[in-house]
Formats: sequence, structure tokens, C-alpha cells
Amino acid sequence: MINPILYFLLFLKATVFSSGGFSNLPSLHQDLIAEGWANEADFTDSIAIGQVSPGPNGLWVISLGYLTFGYLGAGLALVAITIPPFFVLVVQRIFKRIEHQRWVAGLLRGISLVVASTSLTIFWLTGARAGSDWRSWLICAGAFALSLTKRVNILVILVLAGIAGYFIYR
Amino acid sequence: MQTLQTSPKASAWRIFWIFTSIGLQSFGGGASTTLLMQRYFIDKYQWITIDDFAYLWSLCQLAPGINLVGFTILVGKRVGGIAGIFGALIGLMVPSSLITCLLAAGFKEVQHLPVTQAVEKGVIPATAGIMLLVGLNFAFPQVKKAHTEGLLPLAITVVIILLATVAILAGVPVIIVLPAGGILGIFCFTRPLFLARKDRAQ
Repeated sequence: MINPILYFLLFLKATVFSSGGFSNLPSLHQDLIAEGWANEADFTDSIAIGQVSPGPNGLWVISLGYLTFGYLGAGLALVAITIPPFFVLVVQRIFKRIEHQRWVAGLLRGISLVVASTSLTIFWLTGARAGSDWRSWLICAGAFALSLTKRVNILVILVLAGIAGYFIYR
Repeated sequence: MQTLQTSPKASAWRIFWIFTSIGLQSFGGGASTTLLMQRYFIDKYQWITIDDFAYLWSLCQLAPGINLVGFTILVGKRVGGIAGIFGALIGLMVPSSLITCLLAAGFKEVQHLPVTQAVEKGVIPATAGIMLLVGLNFAFPQVKKAHTEGLLPLAITVVIILLATVAILAGVPVIIVLPAGGILGIFCFTRPLFLARKDRAQ
């Protein structure tokens, strides 16, 4: 039997000590498997579902909740991943207090540059994972060009990519 | 940086619908969500400047959990106050989560079909392309700003971006690269060196 309170606390703990969508995975993996509340397949399945489902990647946790504990699990997971990011309001307050110090502008500039790098690494890792196949790089370039025009709806781009995938890889 | 407490620009209800639409349009993960937010809030509604967007985004890196959730909290607050936070969060998370549950329920049935795998193989590289644009959108204002300051700040900017990219690709955790970049930023961008250069130029 799953204890809902402990279940919730495990999800909350994993999120508090994470940064970004998938970094709560190791902690959840360790705890849920130790409790016998999830198996390996639950994890691989929910990550795959997280890739195709709408919203941020981090919502893979919702499907983990659903697969292991039904709608209650999904609801508990949703609350657990929503609470910790509220800490950002504290961060904002701290920065408001110190932002007139001369070094803070430099600090934020440095962080912003790393933020750009993070996106570039995600681009590279996702692209490389899709295979060194030239056709997948072609889809990548096409999606980049279409989104650069700002005229094409993102959903349309993703659907077109899915259709391209269907014809290329089926 | 804006510190002014301005009156809400939109009602919680409107914010809810905007975030619902962002959440539901962004299949394939955070790349599309972020690009949609850039498009909606910077270009379409012009509620947030591109610099402010980058500033709020940097703050989110310092909070635990999914960065996009932290960012949604900040944008909701900026645009609609406390009610805006809840409008934005519920809009982004609840409809997407419901669809995620439905997908999870149906996934087992379709997972092994060749069609599903082919479509997925098409969508993944597309999200990579969208992420590239998101990264360039973040980098562009920084590079432009550095360019107006001179060649040295421009070179430093490009070097920090490249160093951080290589470090993360080499497996250094983001949680370490981030403060390291911040410290490099303090040393490179607040030194009196640049002030002196600017004074000489004037």
C-alpha cells in the first residue's frame, strides 16, 4: 500500500534538491524503487510520455505519479513540483535589495550568459540524441528556420516535424 | 532593472488563458514553452522587455525545481500581481497535466507502434531546433550590449558562453557552472577597467 503523505514528501524532497526538469529523477528513482512503489518501466515510460506531452519537460513527474498511483498520484506530484519554485520570490526580494551594488550587474550578466549556454547545450544534446542522421538535422534546421520567421505557430511546426518523421522513419 | 510596482497589466483570468494556450501549444517540452513565452510577452503583448525577460529568467536559475515554473510565477506576478501568479500557474500546469495523464493512460497501447516511434523521431530534432532559437534569443541582447561597449567585453561575452557550453557538455553540473559564470561576470564586467575605457572614449 502506498502511503500518500510519504509519497508526496518524497516527490517534494526530490524537487527541493533539484534544478531543472530531470534533475529530480535520481532521488525519485532511488526512493520509489526502494519503497517498491515504482519499477524501472514506470520511469522509462514516464520520461517518454514527458517528451510528447504538452508543457514543460518537468511534467514527466506527473506521468510518473499517474502510472504509479493514479490520478491521486498525479495530483500529489503536481503540487510537489509547484511548491519549491515559489522560492524564486525570495530570490527576487534578495536581488531587489542588493541590485544597486555595482557587482550585481556583473553577476547577473555572467548568469545570463550561462543561461544562454544551457539552452545551447540542450540544443546540442537533443540534436545529437536524435542520431547523427542528416535527415534529423534537416528537420532541426527546418524547425529553427520556421520558428525564426515568427510567423508560424509552434504547434504547426511540431506537427509538421511529426509528419516528416512519419514519412522518413516509418 | 525595473523595480517599480506597477498596476496589474492583465486580469488573472486573462493570464490563465494565455498560459493555458502556451501550455497546450508546447508539445515536446520546455523549448517550445520558452519560445512561446518569449513571443507572447516580449513581442505580442510587450509586457516585458527582452532584458527584463533575461533578468527574470536568471533569477529562476537560483530557485529549486523546474525553472519554467519559477519563471511562470515571476511573470504572473509582474503582469497580474498575486492573483496573476495563480492564474499563470494553474493555466500552465493543470490542463497540461490532465493531458499528460490521458497520454500516460494511452501510452502503453501505442508505445511500440512504429508510427509512434517515427513521429517521435521527427519531433525530437524539431525541439532541438526550437531550443537553438531560444538560446540565441537569450544570447543576442547580451552580445549586442557587449558589442556597444567595445571589443574586449564582446570577446569576454563570447568566451564565457563558449566555456560554459563546453563545461556543461563535459558533464560539469549546471548548479556549479551557474555560480562560476556569475563570479566570472562580477570580475569581468564590474572592473573599473571598463569604466575607464568608456570615459576615455567620451
